Amino acid sequence: MKARTLALVVALALAASAAGCVIVPQNRRKHLADPMMRFQTDALEAHAHQKLYGSREAAAGGDGTPAGGGCACQ
Amino acid sequence: MSPLALLALLAAVEPTVPQYDIESLRVRYTQYAQTGLGYQSAAGPPGKPGSEWLRVEQPQAEITARLGERVTERVWIPVDIVTAASPDHSRYGKPYDAVDTVTTASRSTPSATLDTFTTYRADRATDLTMRAGFHIEEPFESWIVGVGASRSFAEDNTVVGVSANQILDWFDRFDLDGNRHGRATRSTTNLNVDVTQVLSPTTLANVAYGGTLQAGELGNTWQSVMLDGGARGDERLPGHRFRHAAAARVAQWLPWDGALTLAYRIYLDSWGIAAHSAEGALAQRVLPGVVLRASYRFHVQSAPGFFTTAAAPNGTGFRTSDSDLGPFHAQTFGGAVVVDLPVARHAHDLHVDIGFERYVRSDSLRVDVSTCGLGFRF
Repeated sequence: MKARTLALVVALALAASAAGCVIVPQNRRKHLADPMMRFQTDALEAHAHQKLYGSREAAAGGDGTPAGGGCACQ
Repeated sequence: MSPLALLALLAAVEPTVPQYDIESLRVRYTQYAQTGLGYQSAAGPPGKPGSEWLRVEQPQAEITARLGERVTERVWIPVDIVTAASPDHSRYGKPYDAVDTVTTASRSTPSATLDTFTTYRADRATDLTMRAGFHIEEPFESWIVGVGASRSFAEDNTVVGVSANQILDWFDRFDLDGNRHGRATRSTTNLNVDVTQVLSPTTLANVAYGGTLQAGELGNTWQSVMLDGGARGDERLPGHRFRHAAAARVAQWLPWDGALTLAYRIYLDSWGIAAHSAEGALAQRVLPGVVLRASYRFHVQSAPGFFTTAAAPNGTGFRTSDSDLGPFHAQTFGGAVVVDLPVARHAHDLHVDIGFERYVRSDSLRVDVSTCGLGFRF
């Protein structure tokens, strides 16, 4: 199960890398610049989510921040 | 040139001071209202899980300023006011006997962080970032330093980012009777890599990995473990933990002026915990500047081999009854209204949002999260 899931993540990463061969010019990227397309709406809201999931679950990380440390939670 | 002429020339040349412009100012207020039961909490009848009731009030403020053409400063101050950070317990049959009698954490613990990020634009495609922060709460202090870099390739279609952080925690050590036993320390070393890729004029993808190595005292020292027979003993955790998390995210613009974002994350660590999280959010612009957002998240995790709700009283190995380390699945349902309005006179953009989320765990824990944000972009 773990091996299959890891393989899926790797496959997605490779797919994203392969797509890098296609260059979308800047004048065709207006939809990508829409705030709705952001993976995280803003840093303060992202921190609120990290506070919830980092203190109530044992599985933080993967979002550019350390998994644990910096607070009295685990 | 005579010395006097040289001095006169230097005096005539005015030093160029980079202009300091505030780019944005944002504030956010979030409240967490938690209910439920957990085996690590002694705030319950003997032999039964105790209450995990608590409330967190969390104001945050952030200022982003530009210093000249190349330097951007971000100063971020989150504050947490936690009620019942360590619940009162009934170890001796007294329902209001606080385990950490030296502190006030069983009633209320304010905590605050000052985090600063300085970004230097080395060239058109490369940003370098330095981070420094300090966190304080009773009876806990923490220092944070970090560095990061990002570089764009292929006409900004690909952005690669790396960052590293080092955190040192320093806190009081207590036993279950509330006696203080000096200080404990914890080190957290973290490395992150992420790649964001434009896949099409309407599709964006991101993959990320974060590895974290923790060493030292990895518990809070006063958390209790349910023993066989109903009594309570101390929690014992390994002194090291190596944590890996990888995530893949896709954002797709929708032709009816909406957007769909999907994310999947896998987590594995050296304690034997494995977790999977899947998340989706749908955003829809209903009026110019007004967006409705709905989100759903599913999380499932396994427990470490030393998790127990009935530890042997004379056991000497690792043990925990912390329900946050236990096996469970959790769902989060959320919704938000986001308003972005141009305000020509005072600021270029006014942002307001209000949202609510309900986090429900299979072990009965529930957290209601209410949040509202206000921001100005100048």
